[in-house]
Amino acid sequence: MGPTGNPNQEVELLSECISLVANALDKQAFTTLFDHYAPLIRAYSLAQEPGADLVADELVQEVMIRVWLKAKSYNPCLSNINTWLFRLARNCRIDYLRRNGRFASGIDPTEIFNQIEDDSPSPFLLASQSRLQDDIRTGLENLPQEQAQILNKVYLEGKTHREVSAELRLPLGTVKSRVRLALKKMQCLIAR
Amino acid sequence: MIRNHPGDELLSSYSAGSLPLGQALCVSIHSEFCTNCRKKLKRFSQVGGELMLRLNRATVSLDLKNTILNKIDEDSDSLERDHQDMSYSGKNKVSNVRSGAGESSVPRGLRQFVKSDYQEMPWRRVAKSIHNIELFKDDENTKVEILKIKSGGSVTTHFHLGDEYTVILEGSFSDEDGLYQQGDFLVRNSWDEHTPVATQDRDCICLAVSEAPLQFAGFFKRLLNPLIRLSYSQN
Ligand SMILES: [Zn+2]
Repeated sequence: MGPTGNPNQEVELLSECISLVANALDKQAFTTLFDHYAPLIRAYSLAQEPGADLVADELVQEVMIRVWLKAKSYNPCLSNINTWLFRLARNCRIDYLRRNGRFASGIDPTEIFNQIEDDSPSPFLLASQSRLQDDIRTGLENLPQEQAQILNKVYLEGKTHREVSAELRLPLGTVKSRVRLALKKMQCLIAR
Repeated sequence: MIRNHPGDELLSSYSAGSLPLGQALCVSIHSEFCTNCRKKLKRFSQVGGELMLRLNRATVSLDLKNTILNKIDEDSDSLERDHQDMSYSGKNKVSNVRSGAGESSVPRGLRQFVKSDYQEMPWRRVAKSIHNIELFKDDENTKVEILKIKSGGSVTTHFHLGDEYTVILEGSFSDEDGLYQQGDFLVRNSWDEHTPVATQDRDCICLAVSEAPLQFAGFFKRLLNPLIRLSYSQN
């Protein structure tokens, strides 16, 4: 996996790199981030459009340059670095699709998806966040294949529930209930 | 007090980035009003972060790496300028949902359509007590609009084909099931029969997304279009 074996140490190390980029324009730290995230961003793009290597390269470029430019806006007290990266990649991918005619033109989707979920920091946020990270990981390890498959299609392949239901020939209600079961298993439905 | 929220399936699809833009707009506007849903969206995005980590890493060419490293070697200011020109806008970046809320009662997510005041918009009359502003068409089948229902006016949805999503922006309305107020999020399916009535004290302004099912696209849809237009009945 990443630079170290332990997921929590890895998150710490990568967060340190981000703050080095933000505060010192540290290129070595950026290279560490690049080596870790670029292959994942590329895989994320290919999950939606298998074989589209140029699109994948373009997404890597968009996201990594954004990491360089926006490192200052990352606040480790507000969100996990992997979540931050995922949101950047997600927003860039949506924007790319729009610019290439898959969605309504003339509107700016980043305004619709941008940072809506960030709340003001609270003293318990950090602890509850890393607890949630552990719960999500344990949940994902133990997810039945049929739920994991749907989660991957929705999150990584970027498919709507309707598209997933057509592709897997499952009733729409089944798709929705499997998503719900998976979220429940990862302890995402309880208030924290 | 907001009592009607998007379901977890809808919220997680938003976080996943797989929700059609019109529905995503409704979820984001509701969430500006609703701390609870903002918290959920954050958890659901964290799921995305963890899923991305588990992907099989795809090889990145040395060429690509060098191109990007060279780009960041350029003067950062000009990079930022170029970058904003060529792609997703850095304009109007607001780092927090709440900031700027004092200047305008329009939710941040709608300000690319409505600058400061709903009243200044070019409202189009669609029925006796109903005006609308069409914001965009997500695709052939989805209409995203803001509706203004005159105080006391009603919208009878005799006939609509797909799901309808509504978020109340200002004012309130009631129907057979109860009273809906600012921030409330509603989903109606084609088989629901509801007669929402705006409350007497003020106009009700809401964001509405209506979709027609795919089978009505194309020829069939054009045929039905006059009916869809008539579905805003008079009162
Ligand atoms: Zn809510």
